[in-house]
Amino acid sequence: MEPSISHQTSPGLVEPAKPQKSQSPWALARRKFLRNKIAIISLVFLLIVCAMSVLAEPLTMPVEETAKINLTQMSKEPSADHYFGTDKSGRDVFARTLHGGKTSLLLAFSITLAVITIGTLVGATAGYFGGWVDNALMRFTDFMMNFPFLLFVIVLKSIFIESSTGTLIFVISVLSWTGTARLVRSKVMAEKENEYIMSAVSIGCSAPKTIFKHLLPNVMSTIIVQATITLAAMIVAETGLSFLGFGVPINIPTWGNMLQEARSPDVLTSKWWIWIPPAAVLTFTILSINFIGEGLKDAFNPKSNR
Amino acid sequence: MLQYTIRRLIGMIPIIFLISVVVFTLAKLMPGDALSGKIDPLNSDPEYIEEMREKMGLNDPIPVQYVRWMGGVVQGDFGDSFVHKRPVMELIGDRLPNTIILGLSALLITYLLAFLMGRYSGRFAYSFGDYLVSGFNYLALAIPSFVAALVAIYVFAINLGWVPASGSIGSGVEAGTLEYYLSKAKHTVLPAIVLGAMATAAYTQFLRNDMIESSRKDYVRTARAKGTKESAIYNKHILRNSIIPIVTLLGFDIANLFGGAIITETIFTYPGIGYLFVESVNARDYSVMMAIAMMLTILTLIGNLVADLLYGLVDPRIRLS
Repeated sequence: MEPSISHQTSPGLVEPAKPQKSQSPWALARRKFLRNKIAIISLVFLLIVCAMSVLAEPLTMPVEETAKINLTQMSKEPSADHYFGTDKSGRDVFARTLHGGKTSLLLAFSITLAVITIGTLVGATAGYFGGWVDNALMRFTDFMMNFPFLLFVIVLKSIFIESSTGTLIFVISVLSWTGTARLVRSKVMAEKENEYIMSAVSIGCSAPKTIFKHLLPNVMSTIIVQATITLAAMIVAETGLSFLGFGVPINIPTWGNMLQEARSPDVLTSKWWIWIPPAAVLTFTILSINFIGEGLKDAFNPKSNR
Repeated sequence: MLQYTIRRLIGMIPIIFLISVVVFTLAKLMPGDALSGKIDPLNSDPEYIEEMREKMGLNDPIPVQYVRWMGGVVQGDFGDSFVHKRPVMELIGDRLPNTIILGLSALLITYLLAFLMGRYSGRFAYSFGDYLVSGFNYLALAIPSFVAALVAIYVFAINLGWVPASGSIGSGVEAGTLEYYLSKAKHTVLPAIVLGAMATAAYTQFLRNDMIESSRKDYVRTARAKGTKESAIYNKHILRNSIIPIVTLLGFDIANLFGGAIITETIFTYPGIGYLFVESVNARDYSVMMAIAMMLTILTLIGNLVADLLYGLVDPRIRLS
């Protein structure tokens, strides 16, 4: 029988009891994150950098223009015409920094997506099923972990000599998913002991459904924090490799390729405007991603009281 | 402990075998072959080239070539470098001391800085100095090593002129003299600081957090209650307990330093293993490249073992079995 008190009292007399909804963990985390000033400033900065990179073409000039060698404008200091000056081939540094950001960030985001996807799939499968599946997958992960990252990216890159940015994404992703896989596995192993997983299984949820619908949302906070760490690491990886000449083909502007110019002593010594802008943007972008990661970690941690 | 070490070492053998297969396969997949560097460049007669190929065994089936290469590797012979026309082991032997000097000085700088900063931050947590230290940590984490290296060269080598910007030894300096060692130190100090100082953040944070945590423990309260001086509590009681976990990170560092050396050595044109690797990949000098790849991978394996052993050594609660 339903209690029928509410039908008898007129609606005006008694305040209808508001359902006291407790906040979801996500809402709690969002509130905590929004209160974190450094993280919010970083987020705004990162969004501005992303937006300017995406809008590089309307803001400055098409990509093809940035590659054009202009002999009359070689190594010009910053001026009203060229905000950041021009490089040794007369190319506008400001335009190249924006276009470089587009490539560098797009690469980093794609690699992060690939790394997190592979790592989560492997980790969740190993952690959920356990037994020989776990054993086989983790032995493979351990094996992949033995290869020094930078060294093998360089080796793989020189195999695909006529390579595009796609190969770079593939090569880096293949070598860097192991950490995420281990992390997700340990979290899944702890989480699957909970009763809600057992009840999901007992009412006949299939394994994929249990993993994707019940398990993963509960380890999502860990995965998100790991994704920010990966994102920062991948920006460093891409720019570092391009800097050494093993990354993105030299004709495409990226922050790493622009910094490569500083390997010539002449540019490093007397033409600071060619290499300082990409170096500064690169550093501040990574810094902001790190702060966002810290903020997220804090926000997801129920024990922190900031 | 000894039994465990031996078991782990034996367990490495199949892994090393698999790694060697991977390294060899990758080297074979690379475009061009070793031939180009080895024959008389003026003689382009196809018959002569074919004869040389046959002589060098490049026409043999791949598995045969692998067995021949691996047979040499087991005896410590990685073949000859095609570019330098010398045995690979000799070449690596020349470069290895430079990398070891660089790596050890960098490690020393990392530990020293992390110890000083971590001790200060741990003791005076949430003070102004602590915030300064953590500010430095955030920066050191965010600045990529090659950017740090460029800035360091720009400031210290070019503008201030304190140290040379590249190489590992001045020209015309005789080996063995005092001048030689001074020149070596001068060339090493900048890359070592860049490599070392940028790696402190994790250690500093680790030491700081551990000290803060320890300072709330019972034995510290006991020491305070007995009237021990605050400096003695921190320097004697807490620090000793907090320094131990850091030692275990040493194992992972061994491999990391060599890997990190690739970028740092290339920027400083410092003739070590990392620079040699980049050179050999660019010159398609496969035997050198394979040797370095094998060496660093095995080093990673050993580093992991060292880390595990140190864990057991400093924390008797962890049983190695």
